[in-house]
Amino acid sequence: MRSLNLHLKALIGVLVILGLLITAYQIFVLGIPVTEDETDDLWNIDAKVEFQASPNSPVKVQLFVPPLTQDYVSLNESFVSRNYGVSINRADGNRRVTWSARRASGNQTLYYRLVLTKRYSGEQPKPKGPIFRDSLPVEGPEKIAAEALLAPIRQHSADVETFITETIKRVNNTSDDNVKLLLGGDTSVANKAKAIELLLSIAHVPMERLHTIRLIADVQQSPELWVRSFNGEKWLYFNPETGEQGLPADRLIWWFGDEPLISVDGGRRAQVSFNLNSSEINAIHLAKLTDESTEAGFLEYSLYGLPLQTQQTFQIMIMIPLGVLVILILRNLIGLQTLGTFTPVLIALAFRETGLQWGIALFTVITALGLSLRSYLEHLKLQMLPRLSVVLTFVVVTIAAISLLSHKLGFDSGLSVALFPMVILTMSIERLSITWEERGAAHAMKAAVGTLFAASLAYLLMKVPELVYFVFTFPAVLLVLVGFMLAMGRYRGYRLTELFRFKAFLKD
Amino acid sequence: MFGLIKRWKALEAKGIMGINRRNADYVLKYNERRLYPIVDDKILTKQRAIQAGINVPEMYGIIETEKDIEKLSSIIGEHSDFVIKPAQGAGGDGILVIADRFEDRYKTVSGRIISHEEIEHQISNILTGLYSLGGHRDRALIEYRVTPDPIFKSISYEGVPDIRIIVLKGYPVMGMLRLPTRQSNGKANLHQGAIGVGVDLATGVTLKGTWLNAKISKHPDTGNAVDGVQLPNWDGFMKLAAGCYELCGLGYIGVDMVLDQEKGPLILELNARPGLNIQIANDCGLTKRTHAIEARLAELEAKGIQENVEERVKFSQETFGHVHPAKAEA
Repeated sequence: MRSLNLHLKALIGVLVILGLLITAYQIFVLGIPVTEDETDDLWNIDAKVEFQASPNSPVKVQLFVPPLTQDYVSLNESFVSRNYGVSINRADGNRRVTWSARRASGNQTLYYRLVLTKRYSGEQPKPKGPIFRDSLPVEGPEKIAAEALLAPIRQHSADVETFITETIKRVNNTSDDNVKLLLGGDTSVANKAKAIELLLSIAHVPMERLHTIRLIADVQQSPELWVRSFNGEKWLYFNPETGEQGLPADRLIWWFGDEPLISVDGGRRAQVSFNLNSSEINAIHLAKLTDESTEAGFLEYSLYGLPLQTQQTFQIMIMIPLGVLVILILRNLIGLQTLGTFTPVLIALAFRETGLQWGIALFTVITALGLSLRSYLEHLKLQMLPRLSVVLTFVVVTIAAISLLSHKLGFDSGLSVALFPMVILTMSIERLSITWEERGAAHAMKAAVGTLFAASLAYLLMKVPELVYFVFTFPAVLLVLVGFMLAMGRYRGYRLTELFRFKAFLKD
Repeated sequence: MFGLIKRWKALEAKGIMGINRRNADYVLKYNERRLYPIVDDKILTKQRAIQAGINVPEMYGIIETEKDIEKLSSIIGEHSDFVIKPAQGAGGDGILVIADRFEDRYKTVSGRIISHEEIEHQISNILTGLYSLGGHRDRALIEYRVTPDPIFKSISYEGVPDIRIIVLKGYPVMGMLRLPTRQSNGKANLHQGAIGVGVDLATGVTLKGTWLNAKISKHPDTGNAVDGVQLPNWDGFMKLAAGCYELCGLGYIGVDMVLDQEKGPLILELNARPGLNIQIANDCGLTKRTHAIEARLAELEAKGIQENVEERVKFSQETFGHVHPAKAEA
């Protein structure tokens, strides 16, 4: 007996620890939110393309769209355009959408809409990039100015990173005569980037332009130019105006390279305006939305990996152990009498469809009618199976009648009665009737009320959305539950009702 | 809340056994599931008892199939009173007690006159499982009708009073006399409203009683005091009960017995999950007694001794008897 107890304790310990560890791993290592309220920002980006189509010529509009290879993941992407053919092609790490139409005239408006969010986790591909480049051809005074600038830069730098920072600093010092010469009076960002590129190329440091969008809501903006360079290990990003290093978290790379954002054949006055807004969405729900191709690794082997339809079934199923736990506590700790062991759980599941008040009302009505039929059948001395069959048929007919009646009267909630498990009702009627015969009406009523009470409690618990979310997301807590159930299996204490039943002992 | 904790502590101090403890420490521990059919099927119980030489109401015959019903007349033979029972019936359902017969007619204990065909129909119902647990096919048992000893006339209302003794590993733990009442319809089941009266294991003198979870000292129907009655042949009951351990192999059972006017103590049936109200009837908890027996068993096991029925009864009577000598004398 002692070894059995030890065995049981060890088993309970292992299950509880395992359940807690898995849950803790999910929460702290995988970073899965504990409640459904934890949200991630969801960005809705609209790029509106407007242009004037030239009459009688085919139109071809090419627009860069985000390559989405970095920290963001696309949830939905749409190209809104009437009478245009749409195609997307990838080249040099960019994505480009091409709208084309045989004929268009007047003002044209095209939309590109992207819904995206921060990527959950997942491995980033190892970055690759050039570490050497040929010098750009430069001659005359520019060459002298460039070399004059490069001499102190070389002196003040230790590696590629500091070299680039220093270069950007120098180029932005527009009071310097050499810089003035290189920029030729044009202090635009693009021109500065060009000067930086020239200087870097002489030092054989490769540089790439990239254009970013800031994730900020309701602010007019146009793509911001950044430059980047590969230092052999990773890409280093620089702001060509401030020399700021590292891409801020709210930047989304729209495209790389020197080409303009949009190019229009057969149209004029093309312009692109961006409109961003954000909304919040539950992190898990978000992960659910993401495509299967995305790397939401942890979801792969969780219940979220199931098809959506099946998930809904499982959200109900996985709560059943909790309902059973309620019954276990009510019966073994409290001492409540119920009809059958799991009948209350099944009734609780039926309540999900009917709602609590309707559920209780319908259950009471059908059971009462069934009981009166059962007591009539008692006189006929029928065998069990035929008797049960008659009661079941009667229950079906009653359900149909209630549905019809409530429909005619305009209560649509009465229709949900059809979802009541008929077999469960039949068995409840049978059990109730036997209890009535053997132990009297009072006892039968007690059991019936107990059943309804247990079912209501189980229903209310199984419906708590936070709990459903938690158990569905961290199914390992069921192991902890099993541990508790095992412990209950050897519980020897009194039931609450026994404290009243044995009251007589304490009179003297 | 504090009141409940106090109550819990008080019950624990008195050694009152709850359902959870009974199930976990006794029923599940000592009663092997494979032995249950012996107590669930009254025919099996009876056959085992006869083999073991334990007194049971004499069995006149068994009817197993519809074809067998033809044999009813030859089974009854010359007996003018007899009982027909379903072998696996529960709660006393389906039992037909014939008190007398004349010509081709039979008279039940309640005075109803029925025909031979009606008896055959009742047996047919039993065979189809109408009264059995779970509706399985069943067998009908025809046996001797017990005539209760007149000693019970004064404290009983109707029906046959019986004596239950709870037996742990062959050691009687606690005993009670169960008296039918008007409310229990002549049945001796406590939850149906029968009275349970505690019995001193050593002397067989009745103590106070319990009715519907309350303590009582008078029969609610007859008004006679239920305590202080000396049960005849008490040692016979104790030995009969103690011997049931060898009979069925189940370690924790309730043994239901009757006292027949002519044949003395007889075993009616065994119960693998005896109820807990016997504690109220005896005003005493089961746990302390069962612990004492378990300690005794461990002690004997260490010495390699196994006690026989007489020794076990003696141990129980010495250890648990004379609990309320004052009340018993009154």
